Amino acid sequence: MTDTAFPQSATTQAAPAAYVVPHHPIRAALTGSVASIALTFLLVLAIGLFFVGPRFLSFSNISIIGSFLVVPLIVGACSGFALLAGVVDLSVGSMVGFSSALFALLLLNGWDIWLAGFVTLVACLGFGAITAAAIVGFGADAIAASLGMLTALRGITWVLVGATGSLFAFNPGFFAVANASLFGLPILFLVALLLTVIAALIVTKTRIGRHVQAVGGDDRAAARAGISVKTIRVAALLLSAFGAGIGGIIFVGQLGSAARATGFGLEFQVYAALMIGGYSILRGGVGNPIGGALGLLVVAGVSNIIDLRAISPYFVNIIVGAMLLAAVLLDRLRGGDSYE
Amino acid sequence: MSLDRALPAPSAPAVKKLDLHGWGTPLMLIGAWLLLILLTGVTKPTFLSNQTVLAITFTMAIIGVLAIGQGLVAISGGFIDLSQPAALIFSSFVAVRVTEFGMPLPVTILAAVLAGMAWGFLNALIIVYAKLNPVIVTLATNFIGLAALFLVFQQAQVPIGSDIHAFGRASFFGLPAIWWPMLLLILIIGFLMPRTRYGRRAIAVGGNRFAARARGISLKATRFAIFTAAGGFVGFAAVLFAASSGPFNPSSANLLQLNVIAAVILAGISLSGGRGNFWYLLLSVGFLSTIPTALVFFGLTSDSQSIFQGFILLIAVAIDGYRARRQPS
Repeated sequence: MTDTAFPQSATTQAAPAAYVVPHHPIRAALTGSVASIALTFLLVLAIGLFFVGPRFLSFSNISIIGSFLVVPLIVGACSGFALLAGVVDLSVGSMVGFSSALFALLLLNGWDIWLAGFVTLVACLGFGAITAAAIVGFGADAIAASLGMLTALRGITWVLVGATGSLFAFNPGFFAVANASLFGLPILFLVALLLTVIAALIVTKTRIGRHVQAVGGDDRAAARAGISVKTIRVAALLLSAFGAGIGGIIFVGQLGSAARATGFGLEFQVYAALMIGGYSILRGGVGNPIGGALGLLVVAGVSNIIDLRAISPYFVNIIVGAMLLAAVLLDRLRGGDSYE
Repeated sequence: MSLDRALPAPSAPAVKKLDLHGWGTPLMLIGAWLLLILLTGVTKPTFLSNQTVLAITFTMAIIGVLAIGQGLVAISGGFIDLSQPAALIFSSFVAVRVTEFGMPLPVTILAAVLAGMAWGFLNALIIVYAKLNPVIVTLATNFIGLAALFLVFQQAQVPIGSDIHAFGRASFFGLPAIWWPMLLLILIIGFLMPRTRYGRRAIAVGGNRFAARARGISLKATRFAIFTAAGGFVGFAAVLFAASSGPFNPSSANLLQLNVIAAVILAGISLSGGRGNFWYLLLSVGFLSTIPTALVFFGLTSDSQSIFQGFILLIAVAIDGYRARRQPS
């Protein structure tokens, strides 16, 4: 996807052989991608306090942001593994929509909630397996292939939802759980944050995480080191589909319904935030779930400020697009791939 | 572009492969297209009518011109231009405003093409000077552009009764007038690309940019030329779009994007760059434009159309990746 065709010539030009890897943990912590997104996050907090006032950080406002962020955080934490492994899965937005539509339809037909959830997740994994087969098995370009799956799943979602435009599948018990609060914050938001921390620990502290990063960083080197590149990439894509499936089910719990537009555009929202947070959709091996979550919080904070100040919501996309370009430029200046 | 190209290629198949001397892509496309027409025609005989031909050629026009731009970006190693929807709407909006000033059709066309070229030039500026990957740059400019366009207008339409409005509904030799410029442009570009110095340079850059640079081809100049030219084609497609569609809003072009990318890949213009024949675009665009019309005859809604489009793109990309792995050129 990136410059895999000529990695040698590129690296020999870029850097003369460095035999000692310089290790400056403090400097790395201050200049790394997580540090810059954390600074951006603090900046957004300051701007929010300045322009909106103390109610920006009130529990009720954070609860609103939090319940809005549950699905993006879960999807981001899972799809982040696919990005790390060097295979971007753009289909997550429609996968969330498909999952919510199927789950709502099964509930409407009187299925048991656990069975419906199980079947929904299996269906999501099935479509994820098709994407994985095309990308890993046939060597299809990940962006174009998952763009195809994005469109196909959107069509399936529309067919499932039907002409009415929405499926009301209100389950009182599930609705109560999905919208319950703990310490004044939505439980699911706290769970999603916990999941992010677990994902970060897996990425940085475990062998599996290092293997995923190795596969994304340089698949040939990883293959020579005895890591099964294909297995890791298939697993990462399946995890991404699984996370999107969970996200769709949670949407039904939060809203009590599934609609034609559920999850529409979520993939760009999530990936723009993840790239702002230090991931790359073109290059594996970079990024960290904490940075990705901070990216999502930054974008949500910006749109919350714009919302509370009653500015046109289209400015959110303009700001996010500009931040995306800035983040990618910063990543390149930090030693990322440069394109010529 | 293929992710796994770096891995050892699978060993050569033991079965003797049918050698089509590079004619595999067009034969496959013609086969698929004929099969689709035959299947639909046999089950629904009313499909084989003049109306169907009109509907298909009408759909082909805009997608075909956009596919030229997308093909230029892909063949020169720029991967994909994801900002085509925003560029198309921007140029269409320019065309509408220029027409509203009472300008004649040639001025409208010129203005729209220049608007598209300006858009492409802007993309190229960011790509070349920030040295960022075109996929991300165009993703971001599309994001920003569509939002900015929504701030400017919610709905636009060319004035009814204007030249451009009449052009969008006119027919020429029994086919929609907007179809002919598409045919002409694809034929010309397909002829020029492998036969002129500029075309060959673009293909060389897409094939191996380091080798191309070593031979004295300026990568920067090529990027600027390609993205600006591709923008110009989007601008011309915008004229056809504004002429033939009714009222449109900034998100009206989002569904075109997928068909365009699928058409480029199906035509064998590899996303990894350096390979492809623009003439095959006629076949792939024709095939893709037949699908929605055929689905209507089977009583399927436009909702299920997306399912077919999505899976066709998925299959096309898988074939593209398989080919790239088999013959690492």
